[in-house]
Amino acid sequence: MDSHHRLLAAFLAGELNPAEARRWDQHLLECEQCWRAVREDRAGRQAAQALRQPAPPGLADRVAFAVEVAASARPSGRRLTVRLRWLLAGAGSLAVGVVATLAIVLLPGGRSAESMPAAVAAVAHYAQTVREPAGEPYPQPGWRAAPVEVGRPVMVTAGGQRIVLRTWRLGGTEAVVAVSGQSFPMPASAVGAAGGGMAWSAQLGRLGLYCINGRTSELVAAPVPAAELAALAARLPLT
Amino acid sequence: MDAVGGDHREFLDATLPYLDAVWQVARHAAMDGQDPEDLVQETYLRAYAAFGSFRGANMRGWLAAICLNAARSEARRRRRRPWEMPAQARLDTLSVARADAGEPAPDVADAVIAGLDADAVSRCLALLPEPQRLCIALMDVAGYTAREAAEALGCPRGTVLARVHRGRRRLAQLLAAAGVAHG
Repeated sequence: MDSHHRLLAAFLAGELNPAEARRWDQHLLECEQCWRAVREDRAGRQAAQALRQPAPPGLADRVAFAVEVAASARPSGRRLTVRLRWLLAGAGSLAVGVVATLAIVLLPGGRSAESMPAAVAAVAHYAQTVREPAGEPYPQPGWRAAPVEVGRPVMVTAGGQRIVLRTWRLGGTEAVVAVSGQSFPMPASAVGAAGGGMAWSAQLGRLGLYCINGRTSELVAAPVPAAELAALAARLPLT
Repeated sequence: MDAVGGDHREFLDATLPYLDAVWQVARHAAMDGQDPEDLVQETYLRAYAAFGSFRGANMRGWLAAICLNAARSEARRRRRRPWEMPAQARLDTLSVARADAGEPAPDVADAVIAGLDADAVSRCLALLPEPQRLCIALMDVAGYTAREAAEALGCPRGTVLARVHRGRRRLAQLLAAAGVAHG
């Protein structure tokens, strides 16, 4: 770009001094080429401004969740807010007025999330605030209640793995089902699930994890014994 | 502030007000196949990791720079060349045909303003060379100043002004050509 056009760009940006700007105003009355450049610049700017749009709903929650997961993986921060989890699940109305931040130790015995694969740790974080079974315990044989989805799906990326999290209520129990196109890595404490092929289960304090690897990888997390999760997972709408 | 022990809520309070701006940048910096929402999340995770070392006064510009770097990193990871757009090849895939490549029609500006269509604008913007496209995305779409855009892109402010001017003109011409093609 030559100096003439640099000056024109500066004129359009309003960065010339008053005397220079007056000279350009005069020049534009006489120069068709520069006048066209001005009109095209303005038209292009107006067109580009039409592309402005607000961030998608839920993106702020997703970002906040990802940062919370990252923060909790640090030695000094193993906390996840109950309030955030409810907001993420789209149950904001239930969370209104909840201003207290509840501290939750991620894993028993003070172990941190660092020993966990990031994707599994993210799911565990998210599921930490699932309510304990109330009233009727997790599904028993012959129990026919249909699962009901709670809130809306949440997407997060952890350990380079895209994960969609859904929460289901089944009787008095809630469970998080995490689905990913990549297999959830098996934590060191996990054991192969009986008869499950590539399935594994793990117990993190009160939280049980049960993972099934197929076309997609599905990780069920709920505050029930891991040994019982296969039965619970069978009642959930897994793919 | 301690980067490791930094309060993530303080970080979110300081940065989430700029989510819309980061989103605008991410939409236009994301490579083909890259989800802009993923790019925004990656931007915030990188920013959080570096929050303790942030000493600048312009949080918005800092986030834009991180977003652009994250997009470049992803492009490198995918073994693509991020700064070159195969414009002619992509033009051929547009539903709109480019008019005669000679002199633009005399009333390009009128044609563009009369027929603004966000999808067409987005497609035509994608055809611009990367430096022009990013300058327009930063200044016209996301509302950054020329100085902020220059800081985010790591180039002189005059260069940003020149690129955005050339890019706007090219965008207007592409849109006018598309309008002409549609009759």
